[in-house]
Amino acid sequence: MRTTQPRSSLSEQASQAPPPSTSPEAGRPETPLGKRPGLKRWRRAVVVLPLLLVGLCVAMLFATALGSVHIGASEILKLLLNRTGLFHFRQTWDQTDEIIILQLRLPRVAGAALVGAALAVAGVLFQGLLRNPLADPFLIGTSAGAGLGITVAFLLPTSVLFLGFGQIAAFAFLGALAAVALVYWLARVGRRTSVISLLLAGVVVTALMSAIQTLVVDLNADLQLRFRSVFAWQSGGIAVDSWNQVGIVAVVVVLGLAAAMGLASTLNALALGEEGAAYLGVHVERQKALLIAGASLLTAAAVAIAGLVGFVGLVVPHALRLLLGPGHRLLLPASALGGALFLVAADLLARVIIAPAQLPLGVLTALAGGPFFLYLLRRSGQDYRW
Amino acid sequence: MVTKLLIFEGVTFGYTNRPLFVETHLTLARGEMVGLLGPNGTGKTTLLRLAAGTLQPRQGNVWLDGHDLRALPRREIARRLAVVPQQFTTPFAFTVRELVGLGRTPHLSFLGTERPSDRQAIQQALAVTQTDALAGRIFNELSDGEKQRVALAMALAQQPDVLLLDEPTAHLDLKYQISMLDLLQRLNREQGLTILATMHDLNLAARYFPRLVLFQQGIVADGSPVEVLQSRLLSRVYEVPVEVGILRGATHLSILPPQAGHDTPSHTMLDVQEGEDTKPPEPYPLVHLFGGGGSAEVLMRGLADAGIPFSIGALNIGDSDHALALRLAADLISEQPYTPIAPGTAGQVQQRLNQVQAQILCPFFIGLGNLVLLRLALDAARHGLPTVILEPGTKTTENGGEGSGLSATVASRDYTGGEGAALYEELLALHPLVASDAAQAIRLLTKTLSARAARKGATSSEALP
Repeated sequence: MRTTQPRSSLSEQASQAPPPSTSPEAGRPETPLGKRPGLKRWRRAVVVLPLLLVGLCVAMLFATALGSVHIGASEILKLLLNRTGLFHFRQTWDQTDEIIILQLRLPRVAGAALVGAALAVAGVLFQGLLRNPLADPFLIGTSAGAGLGITVAFLLPTSVLFLGFGQIAAFAFLGALAAVALVYWLARVGRRTSVISLLLAGVVVTALMSAIQTLVVDLNADLQLRFRSVFAWQSGGIAVDSWNQVGIVAVVVVLGLAAAMGLASTLNALALGEEGAAYLGVHVERQKALLIAGASLLTAAAVAIAGLVGFVGLVVPHALRLLLGPGHRLLLPASALGGALFLVAADLLARVIIAPAQLPLGVLTALAGGPFFLYLLRRSGQDYRW
Repeated sequence: MVTKLLIFEGVTFGYTNRPLFVETHLTLARGEMVGLLGPNGTGKTTLLRLAAGTLQPRQGNVWLDGHDLRALPRREIARRLAVVPQQFTTPFAFTVRELVGLGRTPHLSFLGTERPSDRQAIQQALAVTQTDALAGRIFNELSDGEKQRVALAMALAQQPDVLLLDEPTAHLDLKYQISMLDLLQRLNREQGLTILATMHDLNLAARYFPRLVLFQQGIVADGSPVEVLQSRLLSRVYEVPVEVGILRGATHLSILPPQAGHDTPSHTMLDVQEGEDTKPPEPYPLVHLFGGGGSAEVLMRGLADAGIPFSIGALNIGDSDHALALRLAADLISEQPYTPIAPGTAGQVQQRLNQVQAQILCPFFIGLGNLVLLRLALDAARHGLPTVILEPGTKTTENGGEGSGLSATVASRDYTGGEGAALYEELLALHPLVASDAAQAIRLLTKTLSARAARKGATSSEALP
């Protein structure tokens, strides 16, 4: 008399259990489809991903069309198709329009899309790595590092070009990377980098670099006169003036996105914590370094042409996580598209709302993103889950 | 196919400079189901982490399926070994299906797409743990019992050879405890899955695990439930009196804690198993031993064979003599691992010396931490307690005269800069008995004890009118 449990029943039930892939609803009327997010998520993805892509194309077209001079969307399409060499529409537009579109608006729109994609994906990477809903791309020192870099760039008497970038953009990029490197080095004890140390070191380095920046500005009368320029950089705005810059940023961003996709299953495993991920075969320390490097490179590339644009890395991943679930294989490409769409739209609004003047992009994303984020938090009164 | 699937080979580990366990050996054969028992904080979970390769031993090796864990990439480890942690949390709203799918991580290609074999493994894992009905639910919204089954499903989706579980029944109610262990037993029996699980519930461990390992900064006992679950051993390791026996009508061992107000458990519910050493009170120790580091091993076995009840101490928990004394000694005075003998512990030794009829000093290493024991022994000898010094390598006469060459061997194990040796000199001046091996020590002891008994008998008869 070993046990009163009919042990064999377990195996019988198990072998008789219908494979849910063929008949998910069979025998389980109490779990209607609406309460099965797992199935819904992939079905939604089939809709959401193409929708985001189409939305992004439309937004980019509109952003190119609108501005000081209105140029019709159909004309822009024809113009672009002609440039491919495959089509030969009759030219119904001014040559100046073509220059405006090709040399001024399109680089800016493409830059906005790249910045949005980079920041949104960097946000996903940091949130996944730190397992923290409040993680954004600027959390571990990038913002303060870029700020200090910009200040230093303003101080220098030189005006050097780096790969077609101005001194300020280059210093912002390098400052952001240097800050992250410092944070990572500070947080590394022995051969391990704990997430808590990373967050704390990020806070400390941010505070320290901001203090140094304030000190530098405070002690330098000349800089105070030009502080508006520093401030403008920090409040964000797409600043590209050539395809060359867009091209370089595009290379960095595309590499970063590819690396992020390669890290998708690592991020999924990290959702169980570092120990849990290790049990699943993840070489945690190495992957963590890769994640930080990838996310920081994406952030720094965005900072170089857009300054500090907040909220993209926070709002876009959260919104898409609610739609598609936390699986990173869907979330990462969706966030890239969503971030690009969000920022193209935001940049468009920043240009047209008080035209001919422009709003700072960072201010606009915060004004638009903040309330949206609050709506997500408080929607339908349920506990927020992300 | 390697039959010895998981081997701990002389593993030493500590989180700080102080080791948690030293030179531990443990081997799991393919298809075994082993329960790991022991008090909190004595290294059970650490042992699991060493087996999973998330901690590296300071010395020694862990072998998995014939590979040194240090040389095996994490992905290769995860294909052979899965871990079900005690608690399992994620901040993300993963569905059960997605979470169980994570178990395929070590099998995925670079792009991370699920192949039919992956889907099949996930489906099987869901079916065998009966979590397929939960597949679409959000993991964080499940009950603890369901979560534990999902965690197990995820581990099974890894298709491992070895499954490590940290307290698989800790957060479960009785029903889920039973169904979890039934399931593990079935996986072990039907699929040949090798299982190593830490357990707090000794009764469930006795019922489900054919092999148990009792762990307290080292392996104290390793064998079948009958061999490991001995009341004296458990009482000492867990520091509460317990009784082991078979409940009327049951087929497996049961362990009962003490009843309030009783020093020893009552016998009302247990039919004490034949051959179990569960007969309190303990025999009163006749002789006290000083040992450590294995120096008292042969003597303890000899005394136990001869049926002479003895006490020993103070010994550090985790010491090899300590592990043996847990089983053999009538009384054992313990000190925390790797710490010097505390004044309170020394007081216990002194009290014991006042009650026994003889003392034996084994050739243990003398350090500043245990020097106090020599002082106590010297003190007791001065007050007339018969003393035997066990010192291999000395030449002794049959009646235990002063061993020549004793000073030299003492000096070789004295790490106090001469203080220990000086105490031995003082002891020798009191003309103790010296034995060169354990058998001689026991002969000398019995001679002394019978002489004392005779003298005592004589004096008491004289006192009568």
